[in-house]
Amino acid sequence: MSSTADLPRDTAERATLIHREMLQLTALVIVAFIAFFVTRAVARNNRAVSLRNASTWFSQGEQLANAGRLDEAIAAFRRAMIRNRTNRTYVRALARALAMKGDHDAARTILLTLRESAPEDAEINLELARLAVARGDINESVRFYHDALYAPWAAAQAETRRGVRLELIRFLITHGQSAGARPELLAASADAPDDVAHHVELARLFAEAHDDTDALAQFRRALRLAPDDDVALAGAGQAAFRLGQYPAARRYLQRTVQDDPATRDARELVELVLSRDPLAPRIGSSERRRRLESEFSYAEQRFSQCLGQRGGNLSTPDQVKLQTEVQTLDARLKRPATLDQDTVESGTELIDRLEREVVDRCGPPTVRDQALLLIARSHGTDSR
Amino acid sequence: MTAPATARQLRLREDQLFLFLVIVIGVLAGLSAVLFTVAIEQTSNRLFGLAPSKLRLFAIPPLMSVVTGVLLAKLFPDVRGSGVPQTEAAYHLADGAIPAHVPIGKFITGVLCIGSGHSMGREGPSVQIGAGLASVIGRWFHLPPRRVRDLVPVGAAGALAAAFNTPVAAVLFALEEIIGDMNAALIGSTVVASVAAVIVERSILGNEPLFHVPAYRLVHPAELIAYAALGVFGGLVSLAFSKTLLALRGLFLRLPARTKMFQPAMGGLVIGAILIFSPAVMGVGYEYVDQALNGGLLLKTMLLLCFLKLGATIVSYVSGNAGGIFAPSLYIGAMAGGAAGLLVRRIAPFPTADPGAYALVGMGTLFAGIIRAPMTSVFMIFEITQDYQILVPLMVANMLSFVISRKYQPVPIYHALLQQDGIHLPSAATRAATSGRTARHIMRTDIELMPPDRSIEQAWEWAVEHDAPEYLVGTADRLAGVVTRAQLEDWRASDKGNHPIVSVLEDSFVHVHPDHPLDIVLERLSQTSGVLPVVSRTEARRVEGVVTPDSILVIGDRPHRRTPAAGSG
Repeated sequence: MSSTADLPRDTAERATLIHREMLQLTALVIVAFIAFFVTRAVARNNRAVSLRNASTWFSQGEQLANAGRLDEAIAAFRRAMIRNRTNRTYVRALARALAMKGDHDAARTILLTLRESAPEDAEINLELARLAVARGDINESVRFYHDALYAPWAAAQAETRRGVRLELIRFLITHGQSAGARPELLAASADAPDDVAHHVELARLFAEAHDDTDALAQFRRALRLAPDDDVALAGAGQAAFRLGQYPAARRYLQRTVQDDPATRDARELVELVLSRDPLAPRIGSSERRRRLESEFSYAEQRFSQCLGQRGGNLSTPDQVKLQTEVQTLDARLKRPATLDQDTVESGTELIDRLEREVVDRCGPPTVRDQALLLIARSHGTDSR
Repeated sequence: MTAPATARQLRLREDQLFLFLVIVIGVLAGLSAVLFTVAIEQTSNRLFGLAPSKLRLFAIPPLMSVVTGVLLAKLFPDVRGSGVPQTEAAYHLADGAIPAHVPIGKFITGVLCIGSGHSMGREGPSVQIGAGLASVIGRWFHLPPRRVRDLVPVGAAGALAAAFNTPVAAVLFALEEIIGDMNAALIGSTVVASVAAVIVERSILGNEPLFHVPAYRLVHPAELIAYAALGVFGGLVSLAFSKTLLALRGLFLRLPARTKMFQPAMGGLVIGAILIFSPAVMGVGYEYVDQALNGGLLLKTMLLLCFLKLGATIVSYVSGNAGGIFAPSLYIGAMAGGAAGLLVRRIAPFPTADPGAYALVGMGTLFAGIIRAPMTSVFMIFEITQDYQILVPLMVANMLSFVISRKYQPVPIYHALLQQDGIHLPSAATRAATSGRTARHIMRTDIELMPPDRSIEQAWEWAVEHDAPEYLVGTADRLAGVVTRAQLEDWRASDKGNHPIVSVLEDSFVHVHPDHPLDIVLERLSQTSGVLPVVSRTEARRVEGVVTPDSILVIGDRPHRRTPAAGSG
């Protein structure tokens, strides 16, 4: 365009000028369009190369990480990440390598940055939860585990999601958060597929979370599917034993061939409890008397031994009172009359108090001591 | 139609055409910047691959520099270096005229130099390419010179916005650095071009920021002390960079002209040697800046890279390769800041932010200290992080760095580089004096210069014949210096009579340019013995006239007419 200083003199000249400008503008726009498409094609090609390079760096990083060369792996993952920022796998791999190297802060920073763009990404939240676990931050771990669990998961990932919940449960249990673990366990059991392995796993976790009722229920569900499953039998036996369901515990423990110390102890105790309980139903009066006399004699003997170990003196008013009650019961048992229910109950209660005194003052209980304490507890006659 | 109506119509058409051109130039400048970036990456990929051998690292920079040396010496002599100072010169001194071969040459040589491993930035060349395209298009449309001139910062802003994905910082850079006036009327045009360029860039490369930075913040108020210390450190590193670069470049400029073709290769050899030791200083280096920003580098590594990059950039630049110092200043700043952050974390008795936060502030600090565009620096970092939280420490550190750098290196680096080439940009005061008389109006042009081939004794005899307090030595095209009668007497008394006069002259001398306003002329005249040379801005050794005390007396005798040049700056 001419400057206003030298104005075109006539209409024809102005028309020529405008015509020329229009042609120039058209040409410029065409050039801009061509340049745009050429640049876009070149940039796409460059992007493809960049993505390939990123993939190569990522593969190298994985190999290096597997070989334990973490510094080199981290450098490789960083290069992959810079060349392809949209690939979250690369970022997570970098964060994992950093965490393996012990640089939890850097790993956390990277994942938190990534999380800003995808706050509902289950895997990012899971990595963050695991980092928090490594750092011992219970609150943050639980928060990120929950974010991971309640993120949208594909149907095909249901198993992975269950695994995450179980991971959270194990974390809570090992960190003494049984109360927090139980709701997660209930959610997990509602979600669990009906197979033996899952029921057994859940039952074990319930048991570790001190919920023996649900543990036994899960073991029973497992046993319905596989009545001879040895692990389930042992677990059910132990759970029933802890719940004081000794007949049921005996049934399970008799059928299992497991012989680990816990099962063995439970089996032995169950047998003792059921065979020595003076208050057991459906036994005759003579058997009841025999059991009471036998256990009372044992308890009295243990009490005397304990006193002997501690110098033979009755040092507390309770001990004096116990001694008096022992003499009274001893006298009553020497009479041949049939024992009434009150006498058996009060005898059982006295045995419990004697045993408790022995256990409190003279060291670890024997298996029979434990059995006697359990008998009292199972009938509500324990002294506590 | 009457003449005034036609004039109004044409002016309206001119405004509409200008607006349209601003948009198209923004698009084209953005495309050129994207293409330039991609071409550099492709070249680097092809030349070095993923894991280059040591032989490759050593051999490629000098071998490629042989090619670029020939191109820069024979075909594109005016595209060496950054491109930002040349763009400023074109804007202020040549009515925005940038020859068509400049953007083409800058693109080719820039891609080859940076792609072959020279430690240089892509933003400066992008600015020159964008400004060049704008100038060529403006002249193709036969726009009046003032309009062509106005398109230069428009193209520069568009290119920078696309090159760095920071539209606001690009506008500020065009105003702060190219135009030199934050209140320039061109703000609207630069914004439009910048937006157009960024739209194009994002539509091609996606909406990814250049760096992925976590949300950093000031963790403890006492951290401001650490950031202030970083500002001081950054200012000192900036000074070291600027002073060393200018001193070494001065040495290279004094080498015989026939060596110019081989200078880039000389630099290439040094760069090759450095790359064997540390490939991390290769090219633009934003990959490593990103790592520093995300706390991915060790203290020792960052310190080493800070100084290696500083040295490598200076070598690449002074040996006459094509590439900028914008990216290297960010790189050096990130490394210096990251290292400072790690040190602070180790010794500070208060909680501190991640070292990446210091790397981020360090980037702005070095940019403010070297490039001396503090507002651009602050907004650039803001655009990178999208987070206000880091702005306060950033401003504290930037201002300290800027103040220290300005105190000990009064002339900004881009202007100093131009001065080394004999180009003197008008100062803000000179540009502000858009009306009134200037040196051009009062200077005498009938001047006689003392021939430069004389000995001091012969010069004395010449001086006796031409009675004056002070003499200009040289020819009209090449002023060698200024000598006073008293100096000649002293040299004669110290038995230097046979020495050539040019051997004792000082390299710098007080002078003015034709567009300098009278207050500056009077001030400078008072610093001389009575003869003040008036030299060209584009060739600072070409004498256009002299101002003497007698010249002042003619003020009022000569009619005052504003000339286009006086109005331009």
